[in-house]
Amino acid sequence: MNLILNNLNKTYANGVKALDNLSLEISSGMFGLLGPNGAGKSSLMRTLSTLQEVDSGSAFLGEIDIIKNPIALRKVLGYLPQEFGVYPKITARQLLDHIAILKGVSAKKERKELVNYLLQKVNLYDKRNKEVKGFSGGMKQRIGIAQALIGNPKLIIVDEPTAGLDPGERNRFHNLLAKVANDVVVILSTHIVEDVRELCQNMAIMNHGQIICHGKPQQVIDELHNKVWEKLIHHHELESYHNTHTVISNKMVGGKPLIHVLSDEKPSEGFQQVSPTLEDVFFSKINNN
Amino acid sequence: MTMFKAFFLQEIITGFRRPMLYIFLFIFTAISAIGAVNLDITFGGATGTVFKNAPYVISMYTANLSIIALLIATAYFNNAALKDYQNNFAGILFSTSIHKASYYFGRFLGSLCLATIPLLGVFLGFAIGTQIGLEYGMEATKKIGALAPYVFINNFLLFVLPNIFVFGAIIFAIANKWKSTIISFIATIIIIVLYLLSGTFMNDISTEGFAVLTDVTGLRAYTIDTKYFTPIEKNTEVVSFSSWLFINRMLWISIAIATIMISYFSFSFVQKQQKIKRSKKKVNPTKSSQTSYLPTINRRFDIHTFWLQYSSFFKSNLYTILKSNTFKILLFFGALILLNKLVNGFEYFGLQSYHVTSKIIAFNRPISMIMGMIITVFFSGELVWRERKSNISQVIDSTPHSSLTVLLAKISSLIVTSILFDILLIIIAILYQLFNGYTNLEITVYLLDFLYTGLPTYVIWSCILISLQIFINNKYLAYFISILLIFLIEFLVIDIFGIKSYMLNLGFSPSYTYSDMNGFSRVVVAKNWLNLYWMLFGFLLVTIASLFWIRGTIKGIKNRYNVAKKYITKRYAITFLTCSLLFGIIASFVYYNTQVINTYHTITDIKKMQASYEKKYKKYEHIAQPKTIAIKYGVDIYPNKRNVSTTSVLTIQNKSNTPIDSLHYSLFYFIGERNAEDVQKSKWIKKLHIPNSKLVLNDEELGYQIFQLETPLAPNCSMDIILDTAYISRGFENEISNIRVVENGTFFDSMHLLPSTGYESYNELTNETDRKEAGLPPRKPTTTLAEKDSEYLQENYISRKASDWITIETIISTADDQIAISPGSLVKQWNENGRAYFHYKNDHPSLSFTNFMSARYEVAKKKWNDIDVEVYYDKSHPYNVAMMQEAVEKSLDYYSKNFGPYFHKQARIIEIPKYYNFAQAFPGTMPYTEGGGFITNLSNKNDNNIIYAIVAHEMAHQYWAHQLIGANVEGATMLSESFAEYSALMVMKNELKDDMKMKQFLDYDFERYLKGRSNETQKEVPLLKVKDQGYIHYGKGSLVLYALQDYIGQENLNEALRTFLNAYKYKEGPYPTTLDFISYLQPKIPTHLQYLLTDWFHEITLYEYSLAKASYKTLPKGNYEVAVAINASKIKVDSLGNETKVPPHNWVDIGLFAEDNEELLVSKRVLIDQEEMSFTFEIDQIPANAVIDPKRLLIELNIEDNTYPIAKSK
Repeated sequence: MNLILNNLNKTYANGVKALDNLSLEISSGMFGLLGPNGAGKSSLMRTLSTLQEVDSGSAFLGEIDIIKNPIALRKVLGYLPQEFGVYPKITARQLLDHIAILKGVSAKKERKELVNYLLQKVNLYDKRNKEVKGFSGGMKQRIGIAQALIGNPKLIIVDEPTAGLDPGERNRFHNLLAKVANDVVVILSTHIVEDVRELCQNMAIMNHGQIICHGKPQQVIDELHNKVWEKLIHHHELESYHNTHTVISNKMVGGKPLIHVLSDEKPSEGFQQVSPTLEDVFFSKINNN
Repeated sequence: MTMFKAFFLQEIITGFRRPMLYIFLFIFTAISAIGAVNLDITFGGATGTVFKNAPYVISMYTANLSIIALLIATAYFNNAALKDYQNNFAGILFSTSIHKASYYFGRFLGSLCLATIPLLGVFLGFAIGTQIGLEYGMEATKKIGALAPYVFINNFLLFVLPNIFVFGAIIFAIANKWKSTIISFIATIIIIVLYLLSGTFMNDISTEGFAVLTDVTGLRAYTIDTKYFTPIEKNTEVVSFSSWLFINRMLWISIAIATIMISYFSFSFVQKQQKIKRSKKKVNPTKSSQTSYLPTINRRFDIHTFWLQYSSFFKSNLYTILKSNTFKILLFFGALILLNKLVNGFEYFGLQSYHVTSKIIAFNRPISMIMGMIITVFFSGELVWRERKSNISQVIDSTPHSSLTVLLAKISSLIVTSILFDILLIIIAILYQLFNGYTNLEITVYLLDFLYTGLPTYVIWSCILISLQIFINNKYLAYFISILLIFLIEFLVIDIFGIKSYMLNLGFSPSYTYSDMNGFSRVVVAKNWLNLYWMLFGFLLVTIASLFWIRGTIKGIKNRYNVAKKYITKRYAITFLTCSLLFGIIASFVYYNTQVINTYHTITDIKKMQASYEKKYKKYEHIAQPKTIAIKYGVDIYPNKRNVSTTSVLTIQNKSNTPIDSLHYSLFYFIGERNAEDVQKSKWIKKLHIPNSKLVLNDEELGYQIFQLETPLAPNCSMDIILDTAYISRGFENEISNIRVVENGTFFDSMHLLPSTGYESYNELTNETDRKEAGLPPRKPTTTLAEKDSEYLQENYISRKASDWITIETIISTADDQIAISPGSLVKQWNENGRAYFHYKNDHPSLSFTNFMSARYEVAKKKWNDIDVEVYYDKSHPYNVAMMQEAVEKSLDYYSKNFGPYFHKQARIIEIPKYYNFAQAFPGTMPYTEGGGFITNLSNKNDNNIIYAIVAHEMAHQYWAHQLIGANVEGATMLSESFAEYSALMVMKNELKDDMKMKQFLDYDFERYLKGRSNETQKEVPLLKVKDQGYIHYGKGSLVLYALQDYIGQENLNEALRTFLNAYKYKEGPYPTTLDFISYLQPKIPTHLQYLLTDWFHEITLYEYSLAKASYKTLPKGNYEVAVAINASKIKVDSLGNETKVPPHNWVDIGLFAEDNEELLVSKRVLIDQEEMSFTFEIDQIPANAVIDPKRLLIELNIEDNTYPIAKSK
């Protein structure tokens, strides 16, 4: 089942173009959506989760017209919003049970098994009778993941899911997602490049409401093969390098800026060729845009 | 100090930058300015001769608006206390080295200054209003007076500043303690509840003291201080530190200072550590149910899923409400208010009722409805915003449930909350009944009351308000509009557009009064249909709202509309169309019943009719018409259908000295059945059959008919005419227009059946503004006493030109399980065609004032000499029946001995439903409301025996009104009402034989008179010229006559009354006037007391006595001499209320009391002829107090200073 987006447009009342004629095809498996803050990722996620309207364009999940028939989509959707809260005075089990009911898991016994299973999977089984409101950020996030997985969704949208998770939790989360992602579309929106590289078969980079890069992670990295150079420079040189080179990123190493530069040949003395990473791709795409 | 200044100024500057300050300042200014110039607004007592901008009115505005200012103050003080916490700035701020007092008081005083500003709008408004008024010449019409600046200063210092200070201190302390806006607002609610509570204490003079103490605003204290103010005083007296207000201000300011100091000392910059909740139970991890594979699940989206989703939503929403502090506090206060009502719900004269259900549901129902509304408004917002507030909305919104499910769950949890509240109050009410030994539990009555009024209201308003929250999509704006809808729709539809239909009065349906006799009455039919109508309206609204329920982050009207379209499925369309269809059908049915078959007129229509009636037919007012001399009524009452049909034969006689060739009749009154304001065209259909005549004028709209007689009726000749009058109920009405004909407790009288002879002056417009608008001249007042117009003396004030004393016979029938009653002896009783027939015949010619009644009565009979003493009562009210009979007997005893024979062979007291709040006297037959005497609890012998008073009063009317009736001129009511009230007092006095107990009873008459004159809108007149002014003819009349018998002796006064009665009883015109009575009274009064006639009857006189000193010394004989010094003045009041001091010359009692102020040791009547005098007594024991006018016989405004403790002289 493929997710096909055609010419989606959305302009907010304040004039910000959140989706700019966006088209994209996503097949089943994990799909990573990278983009800086404000790129329109969340707008896209909300649109696909039937929580926001577009001005024009269409979106189909297989046969389901997401824009025109939100009711049908919701039956096959699992959604973890970027940030979410919980009802006060309600336990983890009660919350998942409630959402399971909403997702049509009507048989009591099945629901109980499902909730228990998910609680174990997100490692919150021991805390199942505790008020969710009192949970830490990471625990709350795990509850969020658990609820998104209820009801055998065909489309799972997770918006910034690993923010606030410690490394162990993150791993568990990745495993969980990978397990369910076999024959469903999973869209993972994130600004953490690592997540995408580790998990996703396919990916796209989004900026200013548009898809500026689309492919398999290795494939897009390969495009920069032999083109990325790095050099350790002084602070005061930074500006001049920016003027003379295509600097895609700079980060501090031992108190000095280490810059990555995009170039077909060795830019100048002192530069060393490095094998490109997804991060280089990301920065090259958004900084050149 | 600079730090203090910084916080202080910061507070003020922030306030000035916000629009709230200006908005409220503007609102208060506008309210006051409009109030000061608009003549129709009588808020604050600006009626009659009281100026629109009188100091009294300004104080009333200031004090009343203080309650609204309380909400503003809450906002300011709460914000001042909490803003650093809410902005999470406290941590930063408090780690700096700020000074505690500067911070605390800077904020507090800053808020205090800010919060007083909106109330200054009242002063600004009155200043502007006065200016406008002066420019438009309102000074000349005596509507606006000059404005003294110190009015504002005093009001500011006595109301504005202390009120804001007190509210502020409490709110600021609470906000600092609990750091929760909700709790601050709850504290505000508590203050408002206290204020409302204090209102219930105002109902009886014995509890006024509580009212003063419990009211934070000072309004109650001021009201009590000024309750006897005359219009002139209201126009001139500026509020000052007077007795009660002073006590109130001191009390609350002390409380406020204490509160703020405690709060200050417990205030600390160190933030308390957040409480860490520790769960006590350790959860044992259950390993057994661990599953490592994803369980297979089957998902379904059918009706079962719908129910599951619904109940899951429902439970969690209901749980949210029930767990919330707001709900718990509302519950607590609802229960508290109910208990207060139950315990303190006084009737008049400080008496309570037996705890019959009809009485109790009149307490719990309104509280349930008000609290239900508060719950519905508040939680409609809370529930609609619940998911968004918890920030879980995106998760929930993207799940595959229908929005209608959530909506229905939210609405039903809201409804269930109100239901729980309602039921709790019912349980409290029932427990209270049981606790007080009332065991006739009528649970079905509570239940039906809940089903008719409670449940539908909750359903309707939950639907409306939830939908509103969804459509408006802004919680606070929706709250605001909710409140507007609840309060303003009625005002808008009825008052502005003049449409009096419940079909447009959003969410409301007609209300009933539950009566033990007549149950919920026929109103419930209309009520249920209208409830159904509004419920379907609500459902329809909810169906639409479900489309617009926000899922996700949809913004803007266009987007919402587009999204809404997507949810229109086939199933949705069917639901919507079904709802619409049902609504349409019910609406048509209700419309047909309330508008088509039961038409009614708007007030404007009626006023137009009244004006055109007067213009067309006033010319016939004084034409000679025959008078009725005999009536044979044939009345058939059908209680179950609420129909009445009658056929009567009237014998009319030409008592003039010219032949009469045409007969004029007015067929309807333009007077309401319920009250005088509620004007309507009466729906009794009258048809006259006059033999040998031609109907030459038939004005069907205005009901005027002229019959031309073929042969004129010669003087002294008589003829018979036939009158058919019927009242037929059809379908249901928008509002029951006829409460007289009911299923159990029918009570109507000859006024309803008979047409008026000729022109009916009662149909005229009475309001002068209305008259001016209609182009009518000012209405001629009641004929004045001085005009010895012989034509008017030929008419009595009850039957006027229609008749004098007539013979009456009635055959009345009703359903066979009821008893039908009319005046006269029961000649025959039989059953025919399943109906009960009764034939009554008056024993003596009477006024044409006949009642017709029918109900399922129990009868208690007794004989007094040859007279049947009967009480007809509802089986649930047997309590006071014997006491009533006894009162009848005591009255007959006293009256026949002192005034003369009783001319009927029976004296009947008949219970009527509580829709009436009176007792009334027809010849030998006295209807008395179930709401009053039948359920009054008189088991405590020390209480005022109101039943004695009322029964004796009505019995006295058998003499004063039914034997002797005044001419239709000023003062006529004194001859019936004042005399009846006096007679009743004498029956009581002879029974009690205790002056002090009489004094306790008379206190209420003083209250009635003094408060009445304070609220007079026209002008107060002397007793002799009393018009339809209850406070004079009941209040002052009884006081004056009671005092007079004390001064001249009971025997002398009664002899005057007796000879007066003998001269006029059952005599045709000229009828007597008050001046005639004076001519009988005067010879009975000794010369030295002749001034009483002038002081009490001819003029308005007030006295003011006070004791300046009282001391005793021991005399050589071993007894004591008591010396008292008194101050005395005598005040004459003219018709405008101007008071003039005159030299005193009057007799007054001075008494000495033993310890307890109950036992009068010695009393001496002395002549006061100077303003300061002293007197001495010789007495055997040392008295405790000296009292002037110990029996309270004289009319004084201020009696606190009449008592003085006696000290040993130095």
